[in-house]
Amino acid sequence: MSTALATPTAPHEVAHPRSHRGGRGVQRLAFAAMGTRVEALLEAPRSGATRAALARVREEFERLEGIFSRFRRDSELSRLNEAGSIEAGPDLRAVVELALAARERTAGRFDPTLHDALVAAGYDRTFHELDEHAPARPAPDPRNARDVSVTGRRIELGPGVRLDLGGIVKGYAADRCARQLAPLGPCLVNAGGDLAVAGTRSEGPWPVAVDVPNGPLTLAVAAGGLATSGRDRRRWRKRGEERHHLIDPATCRPAEGGPLTVTVAAPSATDAEVAAKSIFLAGERAEHEAELLGMPAVIVSADGRARLVGGLT
Amino acid sequence: MTDHVARLYAGALALLVFFVVWAVVAAKPWAEAGETDPRMAAIERREQRLMRESKRVNKVVQRRFAKYQRRLARRKREIAEAEAAAAAAAAAVPAAPATSGVAPASSAPAAAAAPPPVAVTAAPPVTSTGSS
Repeated sequence: MSTALATPTAPHEVAHPRSHRGGRGVQRLAFAAMGTRVEALLEAPRSGATRAALARVREEFERLEGIFSRFRRDSELSRLNEAGSIEAGPDLRAVVELALAARERTAGRFDPTLHDALVAAGYDRTFHELDEHAPARPAPDPRNARDVSVTGRRIELGPGVRLDLGGIVKGYAADRCARQLAPLGPCLVNAGGDLAVAGTRSEGPWPVAVDVPNGPLTLAVAAGGLATSGRDRRRWRKRGEERHHLIDPATCRPAEGGPLTVTVAAPSATDAEVAAKSIFLAGERAEHEAELLGMPAVIVSADGRARLVGGLT
Repeated sequence: MTDHVARLYAGALALLVFFVVWAVVAAKPWAEAGETDPRMAAIERREQRLMRESKRVNKVVQRRFAKYQRRLARRKREIAEAEAAAAAAAAAVPAAPATSGVAPASSAPAAAAAPPPVAVTAAPPVTSTGSS
């Protein structure tokens, strides 16, 4: 596995610059949010403004987690799922609209309405609190209507529809924070593998290690976003049965077969996350689909072989 | 004229009178000329009621469609403003080599946008991506 990270930093801490060129170095902040590890890297002189900008990244992630967490009863998303219809804030509306647009352009492969299917699969609490012996719930019927509408400020869910935006919101947060940091210098924001890049650092594009079984494999990312979807992590057992968090909307159950992981480069982290999930759910046709879309991707098959597709060399 | 001939005339006359009376009674000359069938009247009443209802429904539809058009126009303005703000934010990013700047989280088809420049490198990684 090629997951060797450059000197990890303690959570909630701004690291010392790792490199210097003309007084500029890469400032790094790493912390835990949204159930994953978040890193913000900014090539800029070490200063109060840099530290403050990095601190704002953490604040932004915490703010967005407060809106989008399905595990917090007081989050805006939980209130929407509970009530079925609310006057929503701009972030929730924006992400729901992005998710609905993604559902349309992926012909339903990316679907934000799989909350109940995820819960039925056993992912009904934070990943670290999952209980193998908790009572099982039946998966929802995949033929059920999954209506969601955004009208002005109001978001309305169809009967029995609940949203899980955990996938797309990490990309959304990474994109937002990269845009926030960009005026200070080239930056990269990585939210548990969904990463956004703004600006090329002085040493060239940002080298990002891709988690492959027979690595190392590192991609130089000059702009846009990169994201990975896979069934190699966030796995758990439920009543002796292996489960994972990538739900196939066609069955409302964890996807079976197909690649182990899919890493995709796209114009933004949000788009990369959507594309990675969509290509992953293409199953045996994943490589063909990535080639067809012309999206640079690394696809790791179930037997551990990594293939570069979509013009990636 | 013999009695039996007179009886024959009288019988024929009686028969004629009977049929004339029967025809007059059957024609109901006492019934009013403008009187209509109650079933027709019921149909006409129903038609009137349906016309009134269709007018009401048309008004409701027109009112809702006007409301929808107002909301659509407002939403289009909001989208235009958001796009203008995104463009302004992108323009505010300092110029950087070649393809700097992260694209805003867009709802445009990912495949439609040009894929970002990315290539395999031997440089030591600064971070990593994996399924989360």
